[in-house]
Amino acid sequence: MLDASITAGAELTVTSVSLSFGGHRVLKEVSMDFRPGQVTGLIGPNGAGKTSLFNCLTGLYRPQQGTIALGGEPLERLPPAQRARVGLSRSFQHVALCPELDVVENVMFGRARLGRSGWADAFLPLPAGRAEVEESRAAAMEVLRRLDLAAYAETTPAGLPPGTQRLVEIARAIVSRPRVLLLDEPAAGLNPAETRQLMAVLRGLVSPDLMIVVVEHDMDLIMQLCHRIHVLNFGQRIATGTPEEIRADPEVIRVYLGDSDD
Amino acid sequence: MPEAVGVVTHAVTGEARPLPRRLASWVALVVLAAIPAVAGGFWTYSVGVCMANAVAVLSVGFLLRYGGEVSIGHSFFLAFGAYCTAILERQLGLSVGIGLPVAAIAGAVLGVAFAWPSRALSGIYLAIATMALALAVPELILQAGPVAGGYEGLYVSRPLVPGLSIELQRYYLPLVVLGLVVLLLARFRRSRQGLVLLTARDHPRAAEAFGFSRGYARLAAFAISAAVASVAGSLLAFSASTVSPNSFTLSTAIYLLVGTVVSFGSLGLIGALAGGAFITLVPQVFAAWGDWVPIIYGAALLLVITLGHRPAEVLAALRARLAGGRRDA
Repeated sequence: MLDASITAGAELTVTSVSLSFGGHRVLKEVSMDFRPGQVTGLIGPNGAGKTSLFNCLTGLYRPQQGTIALGGEPLERLPPAQRARVGLSRSFQHVALCPELDVVENVMFGRARLGRSGWADAFLPLPAGRAEVEESRAAAMEVLRRLDLAAYAETTPAGLPPGTQRLVEIARAIVSRPRVLLLDEPAAGLNPAETRQLMAVLRGLVSPDLMIVVVEHDMDLIMQLCHRIHVLNFGQRIATGTPEEIRADPEVIRVYLGDSDD
Repeated sequence: MPEAVGVVTHAVTGEARPLPRRLASWVALVVLAAIPAVAGGFWTYSVGVCMANAVAVLSVGFLLRYGGEVSIGHSFFLAFGAYCTAILERQLGLSVGIGLPVAAIAGAVLGVAFAWPSRALSGIYLAIATMALALAVPELILQAGPVAGGYEGLYVSRPLVPGLSIELQRYYLPLVVLGLVVLLLARFRRSRQGLVLLTARDHPRAAEAFGFSRGYARLAAFAISAAVASVAGSLLAFSASTVSPNSFTLSTAIYLLVGTVVSFGSLGLIGALAGGAFITLVPQVFAAWGDWVPIIYGAALLLVITLGHRPAEVLAALRARLAGGRRDA
């Protein structure tokens, strides 16, 4: 069992990962790590390769070279559906909630893989299946309360503001108590008030058992939220450090602001 | 954030069904239960077949609702269930009491057997693949040899409960099974697996990210849908008392799809009955009109869909006409 062999608090490491599409190298021997108890930002200009690296972490892309490991166990061969089982969870750049399910059911879906109820429980009112659904509902409600979303539990997501939908997605992602939370541009489409609320929620999630990885364009959010930041440019990691170190890094300044003699 | 409170209504498909719909379902069940006592043999027979067809409509509706896919080939699974029941009776002397559960389980296996190779297809491509199933049915039955009864087909005459009127059994078995299937599907909507299939339908990548592959969702949706279709086939064989290749053509598959459209994809009792009635009773009611039947059928279909999709606008326009008013452009 892969998940049993991974010790709690283990790092997520990316080692010499390279990815090409039709001869075009979008990631060139990228190495970096993500630590438990921290929010790690992944930034870079457009085309830097951060989305490609994110997709390698989630399993959507399979790198041609290099390894991705959680607690020393290789992940790069696991399809996306199996990465959830070892403790990876994610949100999407474009909110991917089911419009037919109400908010609490969308969050309950986040725990579905933990369920043990069989097909008979799905159709018949058997005690074990009913107990599991109630347990799942209670866990979902607890997370919704924690994120101040309990008032929306019985509503459908379509009518909620974008910021609230994003928080529901995060609730769905954390309800199964993942060990890695991958957030794909969580502030995209949010107004400043919603972004502040998102930041507060994400700060509240920080715990020694969870590593949070954020791919984001909003530099204010990244600088205020992250403990560490990795910067990519043209498929290569050019800097790693605290927000202060990144702000002062000449290479990062050059990439984001251009050369002084340009 | 608080501005959204109270704006969104509860999903109609959520846990608690609105009381009027639940009441309407119970009233419909009581009315259906009384039909054999107050109506003649023709109506008892026709409504019995209509209820079996309602189960078939549910099977196509399930695939549409939980798999997001359209099937033009469910006559294949319908035929499988029907012949399963008929052959078990003829060869082994087993009644529909055995034939029906066997058809359900074997139908689910058959659904998986079709869904696995076609799991990468979706939309129009999957629909055409299912159509191939429908086209193959009559020929497959004929190629099966004497065991399937050839062109003439097979009779299903063994009662479920010996000693009771077979005509009444042919009516009440579809009624009981229809009620059960509706209840089971309503429970499924609230289950863990129901949440998974609905999310996988709308966001397959999200379902994968949470541990459920597209293949799993497709196979599950097809297996359940095919099992329900096989049950409907078993009921049709029992209610109509006969099975033959002519009962399971491409037209049958298309009519099932029409029934699903008329039911508006509902998996409830009233919607399924509306779909079942449309494909069973409308052709019978207008049978005396001869060659005009397809035209009347098409016009009725257009009317039902228009009224169903835009009921408020259509009724308002009718009211305005009746009041002598003029509809705004």
